[in-house]
Amino acid sequence: MDAWTFARPSSARRNGNDTLDLDALASCFTSSACLVTQTTSGLIIGMLLFLVAVGLTLIFGVLKVVNFSHGAFYMFGAYFAMTSYQLTGSFALAMLCGAAGTAILGLIFERVFMSRVYGADVLMQLLVCYAFVLIFDDVVRLIWGPEFRSMGMPTAFQVVPLFIAGGVVPPYYLLLIGVALAAAIVLGVGLARTRIGKVIRAAAYNPSMVSALGINTGLIYGGVFAIGGLLAGLAGALAAPVRSLTPGMGFSVLIESFIVTVIGGMGSILGALIGALLLGLIRSFGSLGFPLFTEGLMYLFMVIVLVSRPSGLFGKEVA
Amino acid sequence: MTELQAARAADSLSAPRLEAGSKRLRYLDLLVALAAFAVLALLPLVSDSKALLDFVIRCSAYGLFATSLNLLVGYTGMISFGHGMFFGLGAYGYGLIMQRIGVPIPLAFLATLAITAVVATIIGAICVRLKEIYFAFVTLAFQMLIHSTILSWSSFTGGDQGLRGGIPRPPFLGIDLSNHVHLYLASCVLLVLGLLAMRQIAASPFGYTLRMIRDNPMRASFIGIDVWRAKLTVFVLAALFASTGGMVMALFVSGAYPEFAYWTISGEGIFINMLGGVATFLGPMVGTVLLLILNDTVTRFTEYHGIVLGVVILFFAIGLRKGLMDFVVEWYTQRRDRASGQG
Amino acid sequence: MKRTRQPGISRRSTLTLMGAGALTFAAPWVARAQAKTIKIGMPTILSGRVAQLGTSSRNAVTMEVEKINAAGGLAGRQIEMVIRDSKGQPQEAARVARELVNTDGCELLIDAEASSGAFAVHEVARDLGVFCVHTNSETSALTADPKQHIPNAFRTARQGVHDSIFGGSYAAAIAKGKGLKKWATCSPDYAYGRDTTAEYTLYLKRFAPDVEIISESWPKLFQPDYTEVVTKILQAKPQALYSCLWGGDLTSFIDQANIYAMFGQMEVFAVNMADYTALTVVKNLPKGIHSGNRYIKTFPATPENAAWGDAYRAKYNEYPTNWSWENATAMMLIAEASKKANSADGKKIAEVMRGLTIKCPFGADGTVTMRAEDQTLIGYAIGWGTTIPQEPYVPDVKAGDWKIILELEAEWKKSKGYT
Repeated sequence: MDAWTFARPSSARRNGNDTLDLDALASCFTSSACLVTQTTSGLIIGMLLFLVAVGLTLIFGVLKVVNFSHGAFYMFGAYFAMTSYQLTGSFALAMLCGAAGTAILGLIFERVFMSRVYGADVLMQLLVCYAFVLIFDDVVRLIWGPEFRSMGMPTAFQVVPLFIAGGVVPPYYLLLIGVALAAAIVLGVGLARTRIGKVIRAAAYNPSMVSALGINTGLIYGGVFAIGGLLAGLAGALAAPVRSLTPGMGFSVLIESFIVTVIGGMGSILGALIGALLLGLIRSFGSLGFPLFTEGLMYLFMVIVLVSRPSGLFGKEVA
Repeated sequence: MTELQAARAADSLSAPRLEAGSKRLRYLDLLVALAAFAVLALLPLVSDSKALLDFVIRCSAYGLFATSLNLLVGYTGMISFGHGMFFGLGAYGYGLIMQRIGVPIPLAFLATLAITAVVATIIGAICVRLKEIYFAFVTLAFQMLIHSTILSWSSFTGGDQGLRGGIPRPPFLGIDLSNHVHLYLASCVLLVLGLLAMRQIAASPFGYTLRMIRDNPMRASFIGIDVWRAKLTVFVLAALFASTGGMVMALFVSGAYPEFAYWTISGEGIFINMLGGVATFLGPMVGTVLLLILNDTVTRFTEYHGIVLGVVILFFAIGLRKGLMDFVVEWYTQRRDRASGQG
Repeated sequence: MKRTRQPGISRRSTLTLMGAGALTFAAPWVARAQAKTIKIGMPTILSGRVAQLGTSSRNAVTMEVEKINAAGGLAGRQIEMVIRDSKGQPQEAARVARELVNTDGCELLIDAEASSGAFAVHEVARDLGVFCVHTNSETSALTADPKQHIPNAFRTARQGVHDSIFGGSYAAAIAKGKGLKKWATCSPDYAYGRDTTAEYTLYLKRFAPDVEIISESWPKLFQPDYTEVVTKILQAKPQALYSCLWGGDLTSFIDQANIYAMFGQMEVFAVNMADYTALTVVKNLPKGIHSGNRYIKTFPATPENAAWGDAYRAKYNEYPTNWSWENATAMMLIAEASKKANSADGKKIAEVMRGLTIKCPFGADGTVTMRAEDQTLIGYAIGWGTTIPQEPYVPDVKAGDWKIILELEAEWKKSKGYT
């Protein structure tokens, strides 16, 4: 036993093989079954991440606030969905409750608390968010208890998975990708084409001009938070049937969404989409090639992007 | 202009006045430091409470860390979300050297500082080019990278279970750190010396350079200051003090754990700074004491400390809108000004 | 540069706040242990993702303490539990443990920390020499490694290697019977997951030499999504899967593997499945998952065990967890040792406790023993069986043979250089 293994006598043997398994990665690219399965798996991870990250990036783009408490919206979405599913047994209603409930929560959060620190230092805004991360986690623990919960898969989706080109694709995940994609399109088109979208973009660009035109910026800001909350809540609701619910569940999702937004560019919706998909694919293919360093791979990627292009892949160039 | 910036600007406006009397000020600092140390050193004679000594030791660890973070946040305007990595680096560096090589403690201490300096220079060289929120993100990314390395490289670092089996504390020069009072006095010495050194940095011409960079980097570079180099220097200096804090923590718990290098430590550092105030040198120290008291009392009474802590944070962020020391100092100056205005 | 807003709080209220803080901080020093009651300190995790560990540990300890106090306490002294949250941070665990002893005057410690927190509290016990029972850390090294050994620290938790030895032999028997040669593993990437998996496969291969591990996955602890892990396992097409995921991670994994219909395609061995926390939460529990027992009131199938499980459920309106029995056992051992020593002194209790065998509902043969040489618990119920989605969840549990477990453990210790 050499000196390096001294600290952990009971440690598992660790050969080079499990940190790096490029053979598995290479052989996956030659099999259509593996490609289809891993790609859809990457899409699923990516699309859920996108729903959370896009709210984060939207809020930053319009309000210049890094919403540290965004993970809590995801958590509330999941819990709201679980409770309404248990009460009504309707999956559609559960999704609706998850999304609408957090939208209202986002609106209240912005109007009552965040709006008070807009002029203040960035750190003050972060502190308010941090305070709510702590408070929301405890509130969930008070209401739903400290133990982990599970919503359960609706019977409609308890069916055999589809086989596409030899790859396995569960129907529920098709629905999930579809809903997330629809949300992305509605959001993208809404911002680009509708009047409200234009006002929001204008508010991001020049808030004083917008308010000079007699438009209530407070309403816009609240609305942006509500949209962000809605999307994160929807992500939580969609995830509830397959992920266990615990207080603090939003945290790891928040960290990953941060990576997504930073890679994609803070404030860019397209960037969030591309970043989320990239991250999803890094996860699904990285787990084949670098099983022990998938997480590290994401941070490394983030460092590289930040250093070479601080504003992210699709962000506006910073002066 | 936000109030925080206003406070900082006021701080830098008074700079010339300070500079004139800076020699006198330094003697004053020395006196204050000596007095503080005397009070701390007498504490074990007055009270036999081990918990009080433990409390001061923890204050030293977090205080050094938080004050060094303020060199970046308050003095240079560099908001680092990854400062905790150097806290962890100090704890792990020191612990690993003592466990594996077993050199005398002062040597391990210096070697850890040397390692920290090298690592901080490399990371700093990459990070300090970035501005504002991007600097914050890239430091955070490095912190997470270091944290996941500690977790993955378990044959060396002990993985998630940390450095176990205790860190040896062989006596040196008649000092035996396994003795509680000796450990207490040693951390007091480190705290007071560390604070004094940071105070000197802040009050030196270099300190004023930093403030100029914070307030107007363009102007600083116009008058011939190498901004990148100054930022890198303060980044490395701050890392050294954070690392010292980490070593005190490693001595206290006789181990090092991955949580020391997690982003939450950085978050707590920022929080301490906001709690105590960033425009006053002793603000972070006050913040440390406040946070530790708060933490220790609240966890004693409820497991829902998140709610309590959250409400307190909201009080500071939305109510006071600044740290306690900043608030007090401002309130004091206002009162003095009003009094002199009337007189 | 005028300030635009007056601060919304008066000086007086700030000072009051500080005063109040200082006062509560100083108070404990004044009220030092002066008493007939004996205080037992318990640092544990009451907040965050594994708060259930702390709450179910606390429940079990509280229930046992009530019984002990009703029977006269420890050598005539009533027990008062002082239970504090460490938030799962090792430095907080160390701080809380020291404070419990130094400030609150606790004379004994129940360390209900997990993972690194347990090692941090272990250092405190080493430093202060206080009597300490680790109740939740299953990491073998905590007691098996002689470097960790201190005379005042005990463990009443399972030990990873015990589980793995019997788990390996159980799986090997099935592997031979059904011809399962190609195996995959999927365990959380931290010390417990790595060690337990390595030990398990070691014994699996020992009892069934032609078994081959063809795929390993190491998701992070508390990872929310396991899709990429599930698909990776499906790609490898193993005949059997081993996992030591636990709690919410295990249920997430099952829910996500379920919609890929993974459970029909391979035999699954999940050591942490047969715990009520996981069994009752999973809505669509697949049939026939092999699992080790964590806590289940039907194994050992004795009236004592069933009565204990029912009493717990009646009192707290929830099922006991694996942590519950581990903590309850600690209290039972302390009570018995104190009775034998006729003292509540930590040193005397420790002396009697070394090698002590007590009657216990969780014992494989109705008793458990605190082994003298490494001060860890042996003789507790170890079994494996297959799950069904409703009570009694694991209808038929095959019990492990402690004779073989101990033999192989001794061999394992030698191979690790522990003896």
